[in-house]
Amino acid sequence: MSKQINVALIGNPNTGKTSVFNALTGLNQKVGNYPGITVEKKEGICKLPRGVKAHIIDLPGTYSLNASSLDENVVIELLLNKNDKDFPDIAVVVTDVENLKRNLLLFTQIKDLEIPTLLVINMADRMRYKGISLDIDYLEAQLQTKIALISTRKKEGIDNLKHLIANYKEVSVTPCIKASDIDKEYFENLQKAFPNQLLYKLWLVITQDVNFGKTDRKEIDAVANFKTKSKADLKRLQQKETIKRYQFINNVLREGQTIDVSQAKDLRSKLDRILTHKVWGYAIFFVILLTIFQAIYDWSSVPMDFIDSTFAFLSEWTKNQLPQGAFTNLLAEGIIPGLGGIVIFIPQIAFLFLFISVLEESGYMSRVVFLMDRVMRRFGLSGKSVVPLISGTACAIPAIMATRNIESWKERLITILVTPFTTCSARLPVYLIIISLIIPEGRFLGLGYQALTLMLLYFLGFATAVLSAYILNKVLKIKSKTFFVVEMPNYKLPMFKNVALTVLEKTKSFVFGAGKIILAISIILWFLASYGPGDDFNNAESIIKTEYAAQQLSEDEISQHISSYKLEHSYIGITGHAIEPIIRPLGYDWKIGIAIVSSFAAREVFVGTLATIYSVGNDDEATIKNRMAAEVNPILGGPLFNFASGISLLLFYAFAMQCMSTLAVVKRETNSWKWPTLQLFIMSGFAYVVALIAYQFLK
Amino acid sequence: MQNTLAELKRGERATIVDVSSIHIPLKLLEMGCLPGNLVELVQLAPFQDPMYLNINGTHLAIRKETASHIIIEKEL
Amino acid sequence: MNTIIQNILVFAAIVGALAFLLRKFIWKKSKSKKACGGDDGCGCH
Repeated sequence: MSKQINVALIGNPNTGKTSVFNALTGLNQKVGNYPGITVEKKEGICKLPRGVKAHIIDLPGTYSLNASSLDENVVIELLLNKNDKDFPDIAVVVTDVENLKRNLLLFTQIKDLEIPTLLVINMADRMRYKGISLDIDYLEAQLQTKIALISTRKKEGIDNLKHLIANYKEVSVTPCIKASDIDKEYFENLQKAFPNQLLYKLWLVITQDVNFGKTDRKEIDAVANFKTKSKADLKRLQQKETIKRYQFINNVLREGQTIDVSQAKDLRSKLDRILTHKVWGYAIFFVILLTIFQAIYDWSSVPMDFIDSTFAFLSEWTKNQLPQGAFTNLLAEGIIPGLGGIVIFIPQIAFLFLFISVLEESGYMSRVVFLMDRVMRRFGLSGKSVVPLISGTACAIPAIMATRNIESWKERLITILVTPFTTCSARLPVYLIIISLIIPEGRFLGLGYQALTLMLLYFLGFATAVLSAYILNKVLKIKSKTFFVVEMPNYKLPMFKNVALTVLEKTKSFVFGAGKIILAISIILWFLASYGPGDDFNNAESIIKTEYAAQQLSEDEISQHISSYKLEHSYIGITGHAIEPIIRPLGYDWKIGIAIVSSFAAREVFVGTLATIYSVGNDDEATIKNRMAAEVNPILGGPLFNFASGISLLLFYAFAMQCMSTLAVVKRETNSWKWPTLQLFIMSGFAYVVALIAYQFLK
Repeated sequence: MQNTLAELKRGERATIVDVSSIHIPLKLLEMGCLPGNLVELVQLAPFQDPMYLNINGTHLAIRKETASHIIIEKEL
Repeated sequence: MNTIIQNILVFAAIVGALAFLLRKFIWKKSKSKKACGGDDGCGCH
């Protein structure tokens, strides 16, 4: 078998690069991270003609090789490092036929690195509507490349692209623009100092802060006469370079592309007139958000109930079918309820990502950014903070990573700090189960009370985020430039394949990422709840039997007393009782206390923990919800989960910073322990106070 | 008196004259905001900011603050 | 016999779970300059 061809997919954002990736690799893809950083690394395998295989990397979208963010750095670091195992044999630059001019800028830069570079012109199906025609032969000759004209939407041209990739050796490596044309004197000196290096590569190393460049950079700095260039001078040269490139591109396109404007049908401006309208724009945005929340609640309740009862049944079945013993108990009381706590998430996470990816794919998200910028700026945020705040409803981690395109450091930092307030999907199961326990069913204006409560909690999350941003904006003394450039892409009908793959991939990574943690914690909790130190635990049976000897109790009642006595004297019970004084003022008992403590690792552990604690020693087939409803407050009597303690719990979960992974990401993105530490203490402290006030007021 | 992009009204067109100010990010130039190019103000967000522009076929939004550093010549 | 096997399995499961959690949160954090690569500590998203 011949060796795999390394292919790097590169392109501006909004060119359909990911569609091309999906079209080439289908389900043969995996998503990981670049070593050491949290930039998503998408790679896949594509079968080419004649049994050749291509290893395809979908690099983060970038407008040029002048990187200004971590994501963009990945692109340039890979392209400059010939020793990287992923260094491409061929670079495939994906462009959008409607924005060819701008997209070609990146193409010429990559070409100048003397890497074989293919040009993919995507969205060819739109040429007719826009009155665009291209002279491919002319463009191929001028740009010295091979061009694949494709439409991922209509599935046209993909085979031709595969064919071109397979024949990558035929693609020319002649650069488009000589670097020395930009500034003769400077570049000639540079070449003299480093005769063996590619000029354009040197230039990139000088102007960027790329990791790979560090060694080269020292060498360059060592040669005295290059230090003299000030930052402003370098920027001027970069401007000159950009202008030069556009001149070249304009010359090429003047002959190679004709646009008959009279043919163009302009759906975009009509849609924009409504969607970015002063009043309608906001109204539509609000309606869309409302629909999403109602849908998440309504649509997923059926599969969730089903999952809940299935796992309750499975647990019961295991207990009856397998030989009695410790491991059977672990399965029935630890592992199966733990797994149930993961699987029950799937419907809602899938729906949430479905909506978010549709909003992103359609190009609507940019309009929201545009509409919200002025409003958000008042709170010290950027319009671009809307995207993290909305995707924070799925998970704070990708949301915090999505702040990277915010140009101003202060706006970005504030966004990072407040994003964990938005209601992430991990809070959802906690909310759902408590809402179902304390809020009555019934409807108000067609919306269920329960759905309304959930919406209120989402609103509370956003409001807290925005308000704390306002305070942070006043408190933080950071001066930073306030750049804001956002592309307004064309409206597109989201492609089913792209949306489906996103949903599938995100759900999968949730199940296997968070799932492993939840499972491990439930196993340990089961152990802590099933074993205990000393005589109280080991002699539970005889203690109870003597205590209740006088009363005529049935076998069932006695065994129930025994198991609850055991639980109280198990390791977990002892720990729980130790922390009870702290949480009693909030209306919680020690079991909830344990659940809260264990959910500092990750919120979603809460339900799983309660499920485990309540399953230990319980024989009957009951769902988690029913067991929670049956809990009695040991001191006051009455149900433990009543309105007051329920609201207090909801508020606690709304504000507390309970996610180790988020803290780790904040540390990484802000490069300091200061911010995550502040987040942990301020948010959790605030949560405690609010929950305390709520309970004392409502009880 | 030179005109800047910030003074453009909705639907108006102009030609970009100068973008050499240090307050203009390189990214903006790379997206096609270059001297000689045609710019049209497509839409203003509420409170007149940010500005939704069409520069030579590229649609993008920038804040008024940045726009005020871009020198233009209005079309008559 | 049956009880012994069951206990061994329980023991193995708990050690496995503990090792996993320690690796995920403690060990990773100590060298977090390198961050958690691979499928990442995040879990959500």
